[in-house]
Amino acid sequence: MMTAVTASPARPRRRPRSFGLLVHQIRYEQLLFWRNPQSAIFTFVFPVVFITVIGALLGGGNRSSYFGGLSALQYYVPTIAGLSVLGSCYGQLTVALALRRQYGILKRVRATPLPAWAYFAGLLAHCVLVSFIDVALIGAVGRLYGVPLPSNWFAVAVTLLVAAACFGGIGVAAASVIRNADAAPAVAQLVLFPLLFISGTYMPIHSQMLNRVAGWLPVRPFNEALMGPLVLHAGPDWKHLAVVAAWGCAGMVVGGWRFRWTPGTE
Amino acid sequence: MAYAIEVAGLRKSYGSVQAVRNVGFTVRSGEVVALLGPNGAGKTTTLEILEGFRDRDGGFAEVLGLDPGDRSSGRELRERTGLVLQDLAVEPYLTVRETIARAAGYYLAPRTTAEVIDLVGLDGQERRKVRALSGGQKRRLDLALGLIGDPELLFLDEPTTGFDPAARRDAWQVIRHLSNEGATILLTTHNLEEAQALADRVVVLSSGTVVADGTPDAVGGRDAARASISFALPDGYGPQDLPVPARVGDGTVVVETSNATRALLELTQWADRNGVVLAALTVDRPSLEDAYLNLTSQGTQAGAPGRTTR
Repeated sequence: MMTAVTASPARPRRRPRSFGLLVHQIRYEQLLFWRNPQSAIFTFVFPVVFITVIGALLGGGNRSSYFGGLSALQYYVPTIAGLSVLGSCYGQLTVALALRRQYGILKRVRATPLPAWAYFAGLLAHCVLVSFIDVALIGAVGRLYGVPLPSNWFAVAVTLLVAAACFGGIGVAAASVIRNADAAPAVAQLVLFPLLFISGTYMPIHSQMLNRVAGWLPVRPFNEALMGPLVLHAGPDWKHLAVVAAWGCAGMVVGGWRFRWTPGTE
Repeated sequence: MAYAIEVAGLRKSYGSVQAVRNVGFTVRSGEVVALLGPNGAGKTTTLEILEGFRDRDGGFAEVLGLDPGDRSSGRELRERTGLVLQDLAVEPYLTVRETIARAAGYYLAPRTTAEVIDLVGLDGQERRKVRALSGGQKRRLDLALGLIGDPELLFLDEPTTGFDPAARRDAWQVIRHLSNEGATILLTTHNLEEAQALADRVVVLSSGTVVADGTPDAVGGRDAARASISFALPDGYGPQDLPVPARVGDGTVVVETSNATRALLELTQWADRNGVVLAALTVDRPSLEDAYLNLTSQGTQAGAPGRTTR
C-alpha cells in the first residue's frame, strides 16, 4: 500500500533554537493570560481596590510608631504590593497549573517537544511581568494618597525580579504537591492567609517571637525587602532577598522533583 | 531495521492490578496498525508507555529506534511523533489558528498552520475561540495538533469517537492520506468498521495480553472460519429433508459449513429437484466484530493466544 520508510529521520532538522523558543512561549503564555478576563481582573483589580480602600480608611496619615515610624500608606503600599505579587505568582499560578493538569492541557504540552525548562521559563516570565504591572498600579494609587514614588528603580526591579521568580517557583512546587485541582484554591489560600497575617501584611506585628518565626518564612522577608526600595528610597535589601531566594530555590527543587504533567493520581 | 515500533514482553502493574502482562507486537514503518480490545484490556497503558507518559515495569519497547522510557531522548521522540489522545485538552481562550501556530512553534520542522487547518477541515474556523467549537470540531483540532509536527509516527487514540458518520469518513480520508505519505500509524478504536477500513493489521488485546495479531481479514481465523448459509425453510419440508446438516429456528434454516461452495451446490440442486425456492438466501462469513468478540471473550485463557499471521 505504501512505501516503507527507514527509521532514521528523513527531514533535515535544525538545531534547537532556545532563544526563539523562549520568546515564542512567553508570547503565547501572555496571550493566554490577557485573553482570560477573569485572571486579569483578579490579578490587577483586587490589589488596586484593596490599597484604594485602605487609603480611604486611613488617609495619608501621620508617621506613627505603630507603623514602625512610617505613615499608614507608607506601610501598606509595600505590603499590598507584596500581596499582589504573592497572589499572582504563588496563588494564581498554583491554581492555574493544577487546573491545566486536571484538564489535560499540561499533557497536551508534554506531547510536544517543548522542553520543560522553556514551559516554566514562560511561566516565570509571566510572574515577573504581572508583578511589575501590579506594583506600578499600587505605587500609582499610593502616590494619589501622598506616598512619593520610589527613586531607586534598580532596587525595585531587582527585588521584584527575584521575588516573582521565587514565588513562581513556590507556586510550581505547590501545584506539584496538590493533586486535586478542586482543592487547589483552598489549599493555596490556607497556606498563604496565616502567613500573610503573621508577616505583617495586614497589620504591623509587634510580637518579637512572631517576627522571629516569620523572618525565616518567605513572606515577611519579602515585605521587608520591598519596604526599603518602594518607600524609603533604599537600595536592594540583599539580606532579606536571600531568604526569599532560598525559599524560591527550595520550591524549584520540589517542583522539579515532584511535578506531574498528566492528570490522575497515578 | 524497518520497525517503527517494537514491543516484547511488556509488563505494567498498578498496585496489585496487572494492566499489561505480556504484550508483544511490531509495527513496520509505513504500516497502519489498529490496537483493539475491550476497556481494561491494557490498550491505553500500552500506548502511554510507548508515548513516554508512563514507565514500564519490564519488557522491551522501542519507538523509532528510541527507548520511550528514556527521558534523555524524550524530546527527540516527541519531535518525531504526533499524539491524538482522549485526555488531551487545549487552552479555551485561544483561537483555532493561534492554538495550532503555538504548537507549530514547538517543532523544528512543522507543517504550516494553513496546511493543517485545510487537512483536518477546519477552514473558516481559524478565528473562532476553542471554547466555542463543537465537540467534533475540537476533535479535528486535536487531530491538527497531532499532525502539526509532521510526525513520522502518529498515535491515534479513538480518533473518531464522537464524530458523525460524514465527519468519520473525512477523518478516515485524512488518515489514509497521511499513511500514503509514508507515516506510520498506531490507532485504537472500538469501531471495528474503522479498523477494517484503515488498518493493514490489527492487534487484539485482552486482559493485558495479545490474543491475536493479523490482517483484518484473517484475524481470529476469520479467513478459515466456517461460513453460515441461511434461507427460509420451504413450506412442507423439515430439516431432515435437506441434503446437508442444518439447524432450524423460527422458519429459518442455518447451515454451518467449512465448504460453502459444496453446500450451496447441494442445496440448490435439492431445491431445483423439488421445485422449491430458497427464499432470503444469504452466505455469511464471521465479521471482524464476530472474530473480535470471540477472541476477547476467551481472553482469560491467556496461555494459548490464537495467533494468526498474514
